[in-house]
Amino acid sequence: MSNVQQYLLTIHSDKEKALSIAQDTTRGLESKQLTLIEVVQSLGEYINEEDDSIRARAIDYLSQVIGRLSPTFLSRQQIQVLCQFLCDRIEDGGAVGGLRKLQALGRFNKEMAAMTFRAMLDRYQDLQIRPQAQRLQILELLNDLMLKHRNALKELGNESIVGITDLVSGEKDPRNLMVIFSILRVVMVEWDIPGHAEMLFDSVFCYFPITFRPPPDDPYGITAQDLKSRLRDCIAASGHFAPYAFPQLIDKLDSTSPNVKKDVLQTITACASSYGITTLSNYSIMLWDSLKFEILNVQEEDIAEEALVSLQAIAIRLGLGLDSTDPKTPLARYLRPITKECNEQLQEPQHKQAKPAGQILSALGTSSPVTFFLIVKAIVPSLMALYQDAESIAKQRALLEVLVQIFDSAIAVYGTPSIPAPNTRVENPLEPFKDRLFELNSQALMGSAADEVSFRVVALKALLRLCLLRRYLQDNEIGMAVQYFDEIVLLEDPSGKDDLKREAIQALVELSRIKPNLIMDITFPAFMAKLPDSSPSDDQDYLITLEGLAKLSVERYVADTLIRRLLNRLDIVLQNDGCSAYPQAILSTLHYILSQRDLDQDPNLSSYHERIVVGLTSQVVLASVGKAPTTALNEEPTLEILGRLAVMIVRALDEHKQQSVALHIYSLFVDEADFVPVPFRGNVPKLQMSTMILSASLMAGVRHSVSLQFTDPGVGPINKTLAELVRIAFLEDVPPLRQAILRQIGLLTNKFVLPQDTESVLGILKNLLLGLSETTSASENAVRIVFWVAKGLILRLAHTDEILERLLNLLSVKECGIASARGFGLLLAPDEVLSKENGAQIRLLAKQKVFNICVPNIAKEFRRANPATKSNYLVALSGILEHMPTEVVLPEIDTILPLLLRSLDLEDSDVKAATIQTLTVVSQENPKAIEGHVGSLVSRLLKCVTYPGVNSADVRHNALRCLRVFPGRVKDSTLLPYKHTVTRGLLNVLDDPKRNVRKEAVECRVAWFNMDEPQSD
Amino acid sequence: MAEVLNANPTIRNASDLPSRRRQAHAQPSSTTPKGLFSSIVPPSAYLPDPFSPSSSSASDQDDADIEPIDEQEIYDLISPISDPEHPLTLGSLSVVNLPDIFLTPTFPERGSLSPLTTLTVLVTPTITHCSLATVIGLGVRVRLEQALPPRFRVDVRIKEGTHSTAEQVNRQLGDKERVAAALENGTLMGVLRKMLEGCESGAV
Repeated sequence: MSNVQQYLLTIHSDKEKALSIAQDTTRGLESKQLTLIEVVQSLGEYINEEDDSIRARAIDYLSQVIGRLSPTFLSRQQIQVLCQFLCDRIEDGGAVGGLRKLQALGRFNKEMAAMTFRAMLDRYQDLQIRPQAQRLQILELLNDLMLKHRNALKELGNESIVGITDLVSGEKDPRNLMVIFSILRVVMVEWDIPGHAEMLFDSVFCYFPITFRPPPDDPYGITAQDLKSRLRDCIAASGHFAPYAFPQLIDKLDSTSPNVKKDVLQTITACASSYGITTLSNYSIMLWDSLKFEILNVQEEDIAEEALVSLQAIAIRLGLGLDSTDPKTPLARYLRPITKECNEQLQEPQHKQAKPAGQILSALGTSSPVTFFLIVKAIVPSLMALYQDAESIAKQRALLEVLVQIFDSAIAVYGTPSIPAPNTRVENPLEPFKDRLFELNSQALMGSAADEVSFRVVALKALLRLCLLRRYLQDNEIGMAVQYFDEIVLLEDPSGKDDLKREAIQALVELSRIKPNLIMDITFPAFMAKLPDSSPSDDQDYLITLEGLAKLSVERYVADTLIRRLLNRLDIVLQNDGCSAYPQAILSTLHYILSQRDLDQDPNLSSYHERIVVGLTSQVVLASVGKAPTTALNEEPTLEILGRLAVMIVRALDEHKQQSVALHIYSLFVDEADFVPVPFRGNVPKLQMSTMILSASLMAGVRHSVSLQFTDPGVGPINKTLAELVRIAFLEDVPPLRQAILRQIGLLTNKFVLPQDTESVLGILKNLLLGLSETTSASENAVRIVFWVAKGLILRLAHTDEILERLLNLLSVKECGIASARGFGLLLAPDEVLSKENGAQIRLLAKQKVFNICVPNIAKEFRRANPATKSNYLVALSGILEHMPTEVVLPEIDTILPLLLRSLDLEDSDVKAATIQTLTVVSQENPKAIEGHVGSLVSRLLKCVTYPGVNSADVRHNALRCLRVFPGRVKDSTLLPYKHTVTRGLLNVLDDPKRNVRKEAVECRVAWFNMDEPQSD
Repeated sequence: MAEVLNANPTIRNASDLPSRRRQAHAQPSSTTPKGLFSSIVPPSAYLPDPFSPSSSSASDQDDADIEPIDEQEIYDLISPISDPEHPLTLGSLSVVNLPDIFLTPTFPERGSLSPLTTLTVLVTPTITHCSLATVIGLGVRVRLEQALPPRFRVDVRIKEGTHSTAEQVNRQLGDKERVAAALENGTLMGVLRKMLEGCESGAV
């Protein structure tokens, strides 16, 4: 049996095997056991078969054989013969594949390419009635020829243009079109097409606009955008298309579909960027006349945006390589009607079309220095005149806004000192107006009434841009502007809108980047002079000054000086008596400035440590024992801010320095003779006790690898310290001091206790728990301590199961149940001291674990609990859920939801608020979960919004928000039965005494009202 | 869309529209630094204490001061409505203005005994022959009726001297049955819904 016979027999059942038969034949040919003639002849009886499919498979066999031959095996004559043979049978499947293989061979020449091409045209005049796959194969062959034998086809000239256009016309399949567009684009760009421009253009433009939408499963990965881009490349391929393209595109701009409009505009932009200058120039004004409508009568912002891009593209193209401002250039002729129109629109600057006119000028102005020059020359003089004659501030403001847009283009064209634009020979056309512009804007900013805020804001923006513009204002002029900005920051009435002040500070920050010396020389002294030496009794103007200084500290040089000066000022302020708010504000300023810097890298770090951590701390301590005067620093709120500063600085210190800090956590850098550390003493006066706030900060700042040793040799082991802290915490009832001690307990158990010692901490915890259940009147402090110790251990996942089990048991204890329930909120709450930044061990799975242990237990025990303690479980649950990531909660939502619903019936506002928060998140993330509970949710949430009653404003507000989440997320059919209940139920809430509640009620009602209406796009 | 009646109206800058001023710089407090620092420096660390619930004290305090519905609130309700012709709000087109909103007790003789309040909103069309004045008036009316409690009597009128057929429009806007009939009209409701879309603050 011949190979071809075997091939035909197996190809259906076993493709692999069939292909290996073809391979055999190939091998036979290459080893000269077979000749090509024999192979071709062996096909003899099949290629004249009546049955198409047999013919096709026989030819396919030949193609497979050819495809497997080494590229140089066939001689030119052999290729010639095969090519002829295949071209004669090109309609039989497989032949095209063979030709694709042949044409890839080096010896395939021009004549063969032409022959193949003609055979294709000749035999496939009816291409469009063939199946898609076959069409694609032909197109791919054509594409191959275009790639490898382009000159051969090109030499056919008109024949190939007409031929290809005819061959591909009428195609509708997106895959085929992708190929066709790329073939046609080559013809359009490389062939000599003037005689056929219209035909070629029509052959592609008939597809415009592309409305293709890929099928849902999108098997071919072709998007509408792919087709649009390729089609656009074709339309933009040749300037010869201009006479057809522009009028037709402009026509299509009338479409009502925003997508089509956008496509048209993007295509115009592509054409403008690619057609020749002379060609484009013929149509530029006609294009302007149509594009302007899209911008001036803006209906959709993004369409106007695209139209601006098109206008800009035309200007860029016409101005390419141009540096003459001669009015006869194509660019100047294009711009003339534009500036004329814009000038007319700007006559009434408050009208709607003035703003787009400004946008047009600004967009064009950025396209090149020449364009900018021409626009400024045409527009600015008349703007100045209009401004001069403007009868109202509102009108002046509108004109200034246009100027700001023009200045923005100026900065785009000429750059700023820090980001210069490429050099240009075109002089800055704003030069002649410099003095006038500076004066006008200064006048508007400083000379108008203080309450003309929006006007002054625009003037400030304009002035800032003038200062930023490269090679424009002199340093002394910029200095004047800096003075104005200073004045605004320092003097403006703080009770009004702060827009202007914010802008002024922002302006100073921007100027500090390009002219730091001006800020140092002018702003700095002005601001420092405003800071009093002692606390003023009632006015808080210093806050504004400090805020300004803090914001200006972005530049390093500026910040260094500022920190030094502020510390000096603080020393002076502390010596004078007075309200502590002022020194607190100075410390907060320092905190802000330091928090903006990379302290690890700061060369001044050790001086901050000496002055702030060591210096101020020992000052506090000495005052607390009467060896120095007490100051505002000794007050708890001040101590807290100082503590935060200390944490930040200590954290950045190196290991060695931290070690010395660790030694002073309780001695606080003061000699033992002067101050005995607080732990292990009885009856410590409050003033000394308050230093525990600083101790907590120091402890928070040092790394866990630094071993804690306290100066008193007897205090050595951590457990002893821990026990002592527990003792002090138990007795302390001043909240900030108690909190400081509790945090130390948390830090010790979490960060410093070694893993092998957690067992003994657990022992301490067990004793405490024992104490709790024995006493009849449990002290709240004892519960606090229990939960802080537990928090420290649980976050590092030490003995979590055992601890949680014991804590959960507390919920059923009558005496301490409710306090314990609240304690669950503490376990996972983020804490600023026991935090990752401070090196606390917070394991990723801690939250998940707490959830997994507590929630099933609570759900189970809740059912069994007696009525008196039932609510404890709900409170505990809300505390746990408050800080739980949604992805942990959602899988268990069916267990939790009934409990959450019960929580809404409690009176406790905190629990209610937290529960509503959880419900809101759940409804947002997983609306399906609540579908079965909508009825009870609606009725309970409606109860939560009633007033007067137990619901706090927060609860009312959040409940409304939660209700508002349902429409659009939960299925309409589930919600509709409650629509009436909700909209009626909210009627009274519209009269709530709180404005933000009413606002939320209005929105919630609208959401429910609109529900069954069809969504309009 | 039909031909635009007033293609180039005057626009007010958003920052110039009347708004409730932020209650900047409230009482000085020793624990929370003001302004810039309040966002940077967290409030005093011991304040959120889960062991001492906030409910009792907080709700007493926050319900103590009542914020009555005032003209500014009405203005905030209707100024974001979009104009049917332009993608601009009625506020920025000065179609609704704060001084043209009046809240008066419906029965002043009964003093605070009667909570009934009459709200009058005067609408200023952008041009005197604006045929969309009725639609705008309807939009304002619908919005207010959805957003205000039932003790308010809403009266939307065209401001005197600003429209050629003000009488006719007012009669239409004041006639309950005609308003109700108009709201049955699907096309009209579509236009109104589009206008009111701007009032929703969007995603929750």
